[in-house]
Amino acid sequence: MTKMALEGVRVVEFGQLIAIPYATKLLADMGAEVVRIESCTRLDGYRVSGFYKNDTSGEFWNRAVNFYEQNRNKKSLTLDLAQERARETLRDLIAVSDVFAENFTPRVIRNFGLEYEDLRRIRPDIIMVSSTGYGHTGPWSGFGAIGYGTEAASGLASVTGYRDGPPTIPELPYADYTAGEHTVFAIMAALAHRAVTGRGQFIDISQTQTLSATVPEPLMDFTSNGRVQGRAGNRDEIYAPQGTYPCAGDDNWISISIRSDGEWVSLCRVLGLSEWIDDPRFASGPARASNHDALDAMLAQATISWDARELESALQAHAVPAGAVLDGKALLFDDHLNERGFFEVVEHPAGTNIPPLPYASRPWKFDKTPGSIRRAAPTLGEHNSEVLQDILGMSESETEAMEQAGIIGTVPVRPRATVPPSNQLLLEQGRIVRSESDFEEKVRERFGITQ
Amino acid sequence: MAGALEGIKVLDLTHHVAGPYCTKLMADFGAEVIKIERPGSGDPARAMPPFAGDDPHPDKSLPFLYLNTNKWSVTLDLKSDAGRGLLHRMARSADIVVENFRPRSLPAMEVTYESLSRDNPALVMVSISNFGQSGPYRDYEATDIVEYALSGLQYIFGSNEREPIKHAFSQAQYKAGANAASAALIAMYHLMMTGEGQRVDVSIQESIATGLRDTTLAYAYNGHVKWRQPREAGEIPRSPVATSDGHIVPIAFGGPNWDAIVEFLGSEELADEKFSTPELRVRNSAELDRIVTETFAAHEKFDLFYRANRIRGLIYGVVQDASELRENPQYVHRDYFREVSHPVAGTAEIPGPPLNMEGTPWAVDSPAPTLGQHNREVYCDELGLSNDELARLAAEGVV
Repeated sequence: MTKMALEGVRVVEFGQLIAIPYATKLLADMGAEVVRIESCTRLDGYRVSGFYKNDTSGEFWNRAVNFYEQNRNKKSLTLDLAQERARETLRDLIAVSDVFAENFTPRVIRNFGLEYEDLRRIRPDIIMVSSTGYGHTGPWSGFGAIGYGTEAASGLASVTGYRDGPPTIPELPYADYTAGEHTVFAIMAALAHRAVTGRGQFIDISQTQTLSATVPEPLMDFTSNGRVQGRAGNRDEIYAPQGTYPCAGDDNWISISIRSDGEWVSLCRVLGLSEWIDDPRFASGPARASNHDALDAMLAQATISWDARELESALQAHAVPAGAVLDGKALLFDDHLNERGFFEVVEHPAGTNIPPLPYASRPWKFDKTPGSIRRAAPTLGEHNSEVLQDILGMSESETEAMEQAGIIGTVPVRPRATVPPSNQLLLEQGRIVRSESDFEEKVRERFGITQ
Repeated sequence: MAGALEGIKVLDLTHHVAGPYCTKLMADFGAEVIKIERPGSGDPARAMPPFAGDDPHPDKSLPFLYLNTNKWSVTLDLKSDAGRGLLHRMARSADIVVENFRPRSLPAMEVTYESLSRDNPALVMVSISNFGQSGPYRDYEATDIVEYALSGLQYIFGSNEREPIKHAFSQAQYKAGANAASAALIAMYHLMMTGEGQRVDVSIQESIATGLRDTTLAYAYNGHVKWRQPREAGEIPRSPVATSDGHIVPIAFGGPNWDAIVEFLGSEELADEKFSTPELRVRNSAELDRIVTETFAAHEKFDLFYRANRIRGLIYGVVQDASELRENPQYVHRDYFREVSHPVAGTAEIPGPPLNMEGTPWAVDSPAPTLGQHNREVYCDELGLSNDELARLAAEGVV
């Protein structure tokens, strides 16, 4: 078996959606044992929406796309925390674990008796990480938040968007990922510290703060110079021109960024517009920046006759930074990512009727302890017996009694699937650009899936 | 209190944004970071705007001042034999080397993981690059916008009636920097447990592509290709909407709860039967869009934000600019912005702890270094060079 960097690290995850599940997923990929605490009465939002082939029949909660995306390699233990026996079981599990990671509001954690002071009494060197929208303390600490809201609050959204338009955020909860990335860092720093000193600690992640930490430019332009910056569009403060220009076909684009006069000359030559090379309006970076509007219009006329990928290759052959704007399908089928093995094909539990599918792996490659997706996300309560018996040493009859008392289970109580919008509605709304009926065959073929 | 990474030694061969953010995270939580800069101009980030007082001086770049807190700076010409020799001597006592050169550059200078770890086999080396150390795009040139294009994030960003856009500034680089810091510590933890070092390859493209939720899976699961935001989707937008004084992101969460939204906004027009189902709202989207726009424009953003957060199922976000963030009661309570005094740039307020580690707090003990500020400490005090030897290396342009 391949070595795992985080072998022997046990994480109890009491998480939902992305901010914490994404962080613990990366730890699980690298070998940590992650036990996810779930509830049969209150399912993770990602178990009840977005399903394979939009199928909401039967055990839909074991077929949800975003649940599979965020929870591979983890174990699922369901506990009805309203019952004291369940809370006691969770405490027993924490007593033999290294990390407790949660992303609920402080009130929920307090109500379950899961605050750091409670956990320390059970396990003195526990590392507890709490990830909240705005931080564990302060006047906004009780507010719920998801990535769209924290991105708004962080200072990033106010400078992002078309130069003549409103603040803009992308079509996904981007800030949750930034929080998750910093959470992995914090957990690893705490584990390294504990390895040296034997001491655990409490980590308080403010999702908004993690994102603000990555936009110092406008924040410090204000604190140092008193300037409140407007929206940047696709432009850069130095590189000019920089933008995204139309290519041949429908909704095809290329992004180009010019860092030097040499790159400008190369761009002109590749586009067959040598007469621009000597145009004084474009002779230097500052000149191109001040004539950027005119330049954008001219470039758009030149790029429109090109195939985006061909123009990308032609420009890169001259060392000009350029890339076609890839949609989700193009990204999944991308030669570079697939040559690097970025997507890993994962089998799904029997009975879900989901074939093996490719999942994005990790942002890093380790040469000695590479990490891997060894199994798909768990079905609800899939590891109840395994966790209770193998980790906590309970007997089979004890776990059966717990199941009968409704403390653990594998079937949700009154589950409600969010009805998926029809393809027609999604197309009319403009949420998707197209829907392909032969996608199964194409995915199987690209990834060599035989099932 | 000491930082969590006290005692960990990092040799920092990075420049610009991605690598320096990685080593900043480690330095601000206690690691000892020695930054190698090229003699003369140093890290190109020293020329990155904006500048303190708008003065384009190499010690006044605000991004540079932010990205290099707590680090030591030495200058070293890696293209010279003497420079490479000193680098390899420094690598003997390092735990982690971080670099973000183009994949071809360091090998061309005969600096490789093999050479750096020859006398220090328990070395972790983290390389950050645009597209990773292998594959057809390995040698592609890129800036942040090119990473956005080729990673799938740009296509779903902006209006579907216009060109795709990107986040302002250098998000792709910061993202890769945070991932590289995590990766460095995962490798470091493995080293602490087993004594084994290793090499880690962090790709900026893959850093973005890892965090796209169901962008590729929407295709694998349902054949859907996700798109940018529609102008009139027939829904309450989940993107910023104008209020009388700014913008709010009106998130309704937990499934269909149209009635609760309508009640909260207090709009009788929205309560009309013709908006009561998703299909009807799409059919009447132009009218819906008009009413929604008018309704939000009649409110103040913080009023909506505070009221919505008391209602189950509504999780509004409020768009704040830098001046509002500086005064934000939550940030003030948590002491977020921190003052750092710099000998040349003066006092600057920087974004503070990205996260709070209560046992081992984030701290800035020293500001970003001036170019080569710690040559003497590193070359003489640590490597044992004499003052004369250092002077000779300086005269030869090695340091």
